[in-house]
Amino acid sequence: MKPVSTLSSAFLQPAGQALPTALLTLRFDRASALADLILPTRRTENWKYSAKHLKLTDDMASALPLNASAEAVADNSGYTVVLVNGIVRPESSNYPMLDGLSIQRFRDLGEDDANLAADLLSKSISDQPAKSGSVNLSQLNGARFEDGLLIQLKPGTVLDQPLFVIHHTTASHSGSAYPCILIAAGSNSQLTLVEDYLSSGDCPVMVNTTTEFSLDDGANVTSIRLNTEGQTVQHMGTTGVRQQRSSRFQSHSVGFGGILRRHDLHARLEGEGAECKLNGVVVTQGTQHYDNHTTIEHVAANCNSEETYRNIVADKSHAVFNGRIHIHQDAQKSNANMSNKNLLLTSGAEIDTKPELEIYADDVKCAHGATIGQLDKESIFYLVSRGLSPRDAKVLLTMAFINELVDQIPVEQVRDTAHIGLNQFFDQAFQEV
Amino acid sequence: MLSIKNLHACVEDKQILNGLNLEIKAGEVHAIMGPNGSGKSTLSQVLAGNEAFDVTSGEVTFNGDNLLDLATEERAREGIFLAFQYPVEIPGVSNLQFLRTSVNAMRKHHGVEDMNAAEFMKLAKEVSKQVDLDPSFLKRGVNEGFSGGEKKRNEVMQALLLQPKLAILDETDSGLDIDALKVVADGVNALRAPDRAILMITHYQRLLDYIVPDYVHVLSEGKIIKSGGPELALELEAKGYGWLGVKDDVAANH
Repeated sequence: MKPVSTLSSAFLQPAGQALPTALLTLRFDRASALADLILPTRRTENWKYSAKHLKLTDDMASALPLNASAEAVADNSGYTVVLVNGIVRPESSNYPMLDGLSIQRFRDLGEDDANLAADLLSKSISDQPAKSGSVNLSQLNGARFEDGLLIQLKPGTVLDQPLFVIHHTTASHSGSAYPCILIAAGSNSQLTLVEDYLSSGDCPVMVNTTTEFSLDDGANVTSIRLNTEGQTVQHMGTTGVRQQRSSRFQSHSVGFGGILRRHDLHARLEGEGAECKLNGVVVTQGTQHYDNHTTIEHVAANCNSEETYRNIVADKSHAVFNGRIHIHQDAQKSNANMSNKNLLLTSGAEIDTKPELEIYADDVKCAHGATIGQLDKESIFYLVSRGLSPRDAKVLLTMAFINELVDQIPVEQVRDTAHIGLNQFFDQAFQEV
Repeated sequence: MLSIKNLHACVEDKQILNGLNLEIKAGEVHAIMGPNGSGKSTLSQVLAGNEAFDVTSGEVTFNGDNLLDLATEERAREGIFLAFQYPVEIPGVSNLQFLRTSVNAMRKHHGVEDMNAAEFMKLAKEVSKQVDLDPSFLKRGVNEGFSGGEKKRNEVMQALLLQPKLAILDETDSGLDIDALKVVADGVNALRAPDRAILMITHYQRLLDYIVPDYVHVLSEGKIIKSGGPELALELEAKGYGWLGVKDDVAANH
């Protein structure tokens, strides 16, 4: 048997020191803690289906260029911040100064804000001690970030347009990037954040991300995560969410890109009456491997959570959904609903879906469901007998599976991008021979 | 218009059609009757192009073309329409979207420009009224949660919308109460035209009181064993299939 390998120490070497002291200290501590991070194997429970797809080589340890400039970024309908290889590019960014809104890059933080950022990161859910036997590669982000964004909304601040954060990765040679975004939403503030992960170039790279949301009482945050990275990108991302009383968080994740994508999404409902809604659409083809791990923790009573993930897999691709709901003892009257449906378009494609419920309170409603199916031949015949081409029939049936989720994405531009990506996917998946 | 010669077909390994012959000319309405298991639905599925059925021998021409060489969607675009005995429910695909895609696929085939959404909506509302379906049905999923009668009316509505050359109605009368039967029959009668043929498959004479066929055929064990005018249906109603030497329903099923 091959010995388990540990992450080479090169992966723990940051490239620059251009950060406030509080963040440098935190980063150093993270790197020390990870000194002998063991890479996951198929016996690592939370990487069981994905470990063999992880292909980290030593030449991916070096940081991708910190001074690369952004290529032309499409016009966005809202405010835009551009990061290239995890470094904020103010010259490509465009957002107004608004009362109550502060968008700062890590490198520019004063002492107080640097302490706040370090505090948010130290409480970050992705950096919680991992369960025994689990490995969270996103913890690397804390040891390697070179810059990042701290977005703060003062109480009552409402952002009138979506804020786009464009994460551009230059894969013109091997390496890795560690974008980090922290959002502190004050009480009753409102924000729609679109994280758009894209790449150029075709060398093997790793993108390792952290996004942390902190929602005070009554805050209302929508997070959209769009992934259109190229076929040489291994993407490992973590999103952590802490929600206080009566706050609302909704997340929409749409993924097309990357050869391997792993996303850990962890929401903690810490204040009574908090609500979260997590939607995900994943389509995979070729030899892509997508792994969504979600955790919803009901810590306080009277919280609602609703989770809907749909996977559509073609060719020899593979999608994994692991949805965990953890209801703490004091979280009475919790209401949790989780659904994962999967569509296999070919016999070579694979789905693994695993709902996990951990319930310690006795007065809760908790429902979960998972299905795996194929396109129904009779339905195809019915549609084709009305003159539709087999491709159009299959597209209609496949879209029926995800329409509801795409329609719920509250930003038109993202819906358009989703439709373009889906059409490209259909062109490949339903090629007429 | 449609010429079927010595058609043999099977599903999986079961031989169902055993040398069926049938000629249908434009403007005619034909009814095919026969006990369960005689091959009525198989005939309709084979004509529409369901790949679950294999044609083992025989030929079918449609307006001079070899129908069996055409893909399912090409048959539809050339004007063959099958009203399904059991229309499929397709949640998540709206009737409106489906029907518009269908109409435009036909138009494209005939080199006609797409119908825009507003034009289409107007047309769809008109035909849904013709079969007494509330236009709100258009916004629902295809046949999703429709009652048996609503599904059948939806099939006839599609025929009115698509204006096929040959409409095959597979037990479109089954499961209908008398009022719904009249609505469906009115819809089918509205389809009658000199350049269109209708092939009705039915168990019961009842439908033929409302849609009077030009020809009635009796199908048994995959062959047409007797043909006649509308009076044949009445005779069957009175005497059952036994007098033709055909095992009746019960016997055929046991």
